[in-house]
Parts: sequence; structure tokens; C-alpha cells
Amino acid sequence: MAFEMGPETRQVQGTWDVTTYKYKIDGGGMKLLCDAMKEKKIRGIRCNECGTVYVPAPTFCRKCHVDIDEVVEVEDSGEVGTFAVEMADMRGNPIEKERISAQIKLDGADTWLGGTIEGVDWHDVKIGMKVKAIWVDNPEGRLSDIDHFEPL
Amino acid sequence: MRNVAIIGVGYTPVFVSKRKDVNIVEMISEAVDAAFRNTNLTPDDIDSITFGNMQTFEGLNLPHLWAADHISALGKPTIRISTGGTTGMSTLQAAYYQVASGLYDVVMAVTWEKQSEGDSQVGLAGIVMPEVMVMVQNGMDLFGGRGIGGMGGGSTGAASYQATSYLHHSGASPEHIDKMAALERTNASKNPYAHLRKATTVEDIQATPFISWPLRYGHTCPTSDGATVAIVVSEEKAAKLADQAAWINGVACCASDPTTANLIEGQITDPAEQQPARIAAEKAFAMAGIKNPRKEIDMAELYNGFAHQSLMWLEKLGLCKEGEAHKMLDKGALDIDGELPTNASGGVFSTNAIGASAMNRPAECALQIMRKIEGGHQIPKKVRNALAHGWGGLFQYVTVMIISDEPRKA
Repeated sequence: MAFEMGPETRQVQGTWDVTTYKYKIDGGGMKLLCDAMKEKKIRGIRCNECGTVYVPAPTFCRKCHVDIDEVVEVEDSGEVGTFAVEMADMRGNPIEKERISAQIKLDGADTWLGGTIEGVDWHDVKIGMKVKAIWVDNPEGRLSDIDHFEPL
Repeated sequence: MRNVAIIGVGYTPVFVSKRKDVNIVEMISEAVDAAFRNTNLTPDDIDSITFGNMQTFEGLNLPHLWAADHISALGKPTIRISTGGTTGMSTLQAAYYQVASGLYDVVMAVTWEKQSEGDSQVGLAGIVMPEVMVMVQNGMDLFGGRGIGGMGGGSTGAASYQATSYLHHSGASPEHIDKMAALERTNASKNPYAHLRKATTVEDIQATPFISWPLRYGHTCPTSDGATVAIVVSEEKAAKLADQAAWINGVACCASDPTTANLIEGQITDPAEQQPARIAAEKAFAMAGIKNPRKEIDMAELYNGFAHQSLMWLEKLGLCKEGEAHKMLDKGALDIDGELPTNASGGVFSTNAIGASAMNRPAECALQIMRKIEGGHQIPKKVRNALAHGWGGLFQYVTVMIISDEPRKA
């Protein structure tokens, strides 16, 4: 079973640039959300058949396969669905301060949103913990208008 | 539908980080040659070829056509399959369909990855690029973590969300992940076709840094270069061509809502829920005539890019009750000589040439059943029914195969 690799052969460099593609994407639910965030509100769309509330919203219900358009407002607080504590960056290098990265289910919504939790030691974070959004002072209608979440 | 058997497997001589001595097609041909050697077949015996690897990972389009002469495909039907992490088993399932349907009698499934030549992070980014671009245009701080939607940690970050949820709902502790990791790495040390082959203790695992709590560096899989080939045949051909065969008696796959990548249209599924695993397993058990999987399944080969997943899959696939897998680990049931040997090969967690990873699961099951395991990880008890599992996509696609020592009864 002793296998010896042979000598290294020639290698040439090449690139595939993923930024050159032209992706067609509607993003209507994203616009609905961002327009609401300008007023420090969170809006999504409810399915009339099953009642699922999506934030940000697709144009149809993924459970019922029907078109949906009923705009609803949900709370800017909710509970931690799951979380992780980042201690290294995308390439595996250690980062200076750990970051609590969470999936948060806002009250009134059935979907999870990604966000950072601050103001709590990471050892104390639990699934199901109540958190609220901390908004920036001057919202511009962007995802960065919620700066982070803190425990309620 | 006809019965289908695996009559032989061929691996590259090694699975390692970098095969600098061969190019992609030369590496693939090593596994093809091994499959011919192990079955005493020649290229003339093969009716059709299925071929699988990850799209874009090596920045290479149409690799199956570049490889055509290296896989003895000249003048033969050849199809490429690419379904993400499940690619290897999807490629074997495609071969299964061709034989079960009666279309062909002898089909070779070729699976591989040469990760050292590519960039898997670019390949993974390609999965969600349009959505990420929209999020970034709308103010998402992609890596910094301010605002909504930032997703640090890449694949490990998403797996950590899954691990946290799994621990919460099962009652297992982070130390159980360490223990499962040590068990599988130690199994891998006995497998000549494993990549990370060092006997490892719980303390060794616990000495590695956290990447994204609860997952440590020691909980993550390597990136490997390697290829695996399996030859599947009809029942009639198996009687003529092979002394031994392992039978593919159950086949299933299932998708659900993308649990980690629905960035702009609302994620509705817990990444640890994994409903497709339950659905696919139930279908495969029914097809194979398995009525009580907890009693009838003798071993499991599970797709685990991360060490918590072996425990999670045992529960989701119905091989134990929810919250029971870590207790089985504690009492030694998952050891090679235990009640339900789990990843005796060391799993994807120890060897990950991605396109081949979900093929190595049924390949290992077949070799265990035929008692042709090389190295020291042969399961001592007789294996009648084995479960092979593949996982991937956007965290939401599962393949299952039941491999047995006897063909399915009509």
C-alpha cells in the first residue's frame, strides 16, 4: 500500500471572474423592507392561504405556491432562532473580538434574519432569548439602518 | 424495476491535500484503473458512464468531456451530474437508474475533486452570488457584521448555526462534538484511503481553536484531492461477472427550502431541522423493505463536513430517537465494533474530495458488506444492511442509499 507521489508537474495560473456576470433579480421584497427601514419599521408579506409572513418577502408563498402581496408590519424585536460566535474570519484567521452572529425570528414574522447581538457576554446567549433592534440615528433605507440587536 | 449491484470500487491510491504529480484527468484515471483491476473488467465491458464533481470548484467547464478518453468513454454515453455535496451519490444514483430501468447492464460511476487546483470559497460564493450582490447594494455589511444579513464565517458560519440549534434541541454538549471528532479521526487512521490519518484524542481536538463557536478547527473537514469509481450492474450480469456483490436496495433523494441561502426572500427553515433527511430515509427504507431501521441497519456512513453532523444525522435519518445519538456515542455504540458503527471510514470529516465524498459513503458500505475493506477499519460483525447518506445543496438536499448483502425481493 506504499504509494509514492511522482515529481511535481507544470502548473499554469488562470482566473474566472464571477463579478462579470449580469444577474437578473427582482428584489421587490428587499425594496419593501428597505423603504420601511427608512421609517424604522419592518415590513414583509403574508400568505393569505397559510398565514406565513416572510421578511424579506418573495413574490409567492414557498409553501402554498400562490402569489402573495398582502403587506404587513412586524415588530423590530423577536427571539434568537440560532446563533454562532465568530472567532475567525472567512479565511480562518483569528479576529480581534468575537462576534455573536444570530438568526433572529422577529415577532410577527415566520422568517429568520441575520444580525449581530451586542451588550451581552456570548456565554449567556441562548436560543429563544428575546432581543430588540438597535437602529442608527438617521436611517437611509438600507439594511445597515439596524446597527445590531441587544437583549430585551 | 431491475435489481442493481455494486460489484467493485476503485479509489485513487491516496486522498491528500495536493496531488502535484498528476493533473485532473490523470488523477481520475487512477481510480478508473483501480476499478477495472478490482473487478477484472475491461473498458469494453462498460455500457455507459456517469461522471460527477462540483461545478466551478476547479474553474473548469465540461470536465467529463476532457476526461472522456481517461474514463474509457469514447463512443459511449456519458452524462455529468452536479448536485453540490451530494454529487457523488447522485452520480451513483444516475448509474443505478440506468441499470434499474433496463437501459444498460454495466455502468461506471466516476466521481472526483481536485480541490488543490481550485478555490472552493469562490465556488460556494457562486451559489448565492446574485442574492449577495442585491444585499450588498442594499447596505449589507458582508463580513463586518453591522446591520442585517451579514454572514461571517462562510460555510463554517452556517454550519455553526446548525450545530448550535442541534445542541440546543438534542441536549448534547459541545464536548460530544469533540468526542465524535476524535472517534472518526481515529477510525480514519486505520483507513489507507482517508486523508487525515492520525489517531486523535478528545484532548487533541479540544486543543484546536474555535472558528465559530460551537465549532472548532478540529471539527472541520479537510479539502482533499482524490477520485472514487464504482461499477454497478444488473442482477443477471452480477451472476456472470462477479464473485461478490453489494446490492443497492433503496434509493432516495429530497430537497427542502434553502435553509441558509434565502437571503433576500426570507429563510423559513431551521438549519438543524433537516426534514429532507427523514423523508429520504423513510422512502429508502420502504423501498429496501426495512421495517425497523434501528434494528435492521447494521452500519451508517454519513456525510459530515462538520463533526456534529454525524450525531445529528443519526437522529434525522431515524437510526435513533431525537436526543439519543450522543448517548449512543457515550456508550460506545458508534465504535467500529459497536452496535451501530458510524463512519468507520472516518467520514467526510476526515476525507473530503467533495465530488467523491457522497460516493465514498455507499462505496465504503459496499466494501464493508463484501468484507473487502483494506486497512484496519473492517467492521467485525456481519453487515446485512448499511445506510449511506449524502448532504449538501444549500444545506437542504439529502441523498440516501440502502446497501445490502442480498438483492431486494420482488
